[in-house]
Amino acid sequence: MPDLPELNPVIHGKLRLALLSLLAGIEEAEFTWLRNKTGSTDGNLGAQLARLEEAGYLRVKKKFVNRKPRTLYRMTDAGRQALTEYIQALKQILGTAIDT
Amino acid sequence: MKDQTTTQDLKDRLTLIENMISEGRRTTESWGWTFVLWGMAFYVALTWDSWGHSAWAWPITMTAAVVVTVILVSIKTGGEAETTLGRAVGSVWLALGVSMFLLFPSLGIAGKLIDPHLFIAVASGMLGMANAASALILRWKVQFGCAVIWWAAAVAASFVTGNQAAVVFIIAIFICQIAFGVYGMIQEAGAKSRRGTAHA
Repeated sequence: MPDLPELNPVIHGKLRLALLSLLAGIEEAEFTWLRNKTGSTDGNLGAQLARLEEAGYLRVKKKFVNRKPRTLYRMTDAGRQALTEYIQALKQILGTAIDT
Repeated sequence: MKDQTTTQDLKDRLTLIENMISEGRRTTESWGWTFVLWGMAFYVALTWDSWGHSAWAWPITMTAAVVVTVILVSIKTGGEAETTLGRAVGSVWLALGVSMFLLFPSLGIAGKLIDPHLFIAVASGMLGMANAASALILRWKVQFGCAVIWWAAAVAASFVTGNQAAVVFIIAIFICQIAFGVYGMIQEAGAKSRRGTAHA
């Protein structure tokens, strides 16, 4: 039986996985858009986004539009690579589970 | 970690990834109102022009429409995500706007915009091109239909009389700006109400 891959613990959290997946399909998104899409609270969302940023999977940009602050999140190449590897690992584990 | 995670949980995570990627790509931008606004602006300019104030009718009306569009876009924009698709379509319309705002005032100032056929044919041709590019990017047949109508208007304006060309232009504006814009707004409202909020 082949060695099964480890799942990246930074991505494995459900909200962090949802956030990376959302950002994979777009160029960049505002904090409020991510909150609406995930139905998360501000505090939890901020904490999970900070963890993804610490891991180098997200890049944050702050700007003012019409004097209102806007925080924009964009997925980095490292984040895209990590999500791809996570999906491959997930499929490999599931494939093994079906075979056994 | 994998030892503690059930197969069902892993399947759920794959489903979550698929759902979130497709949810992210669904744009919530609404642009139907811009077609209606610009259609109305064209009608105001045409009406004003026909009353004899032709020198200022188009520059003032079009400039006012740009100002209103910029203000409304800045008010409506917020809490959004930028997609490659949205940026591509926006770029097409921005390029059209810049082209028209350079070409027509230049022709007018140079005194070469005296033939209404030329104005209607060129404007319709450019609008046909922008609608076609947008329709091909979005794979939207209804908008491609508008492009065909604009192209037909451009060809017709080259051959018919001045008054007939004006009528063709008015009809094309109604179908491709007013009616299409209202249709777009209805579609956007329906999509928003069906979607609701996705919870992860």
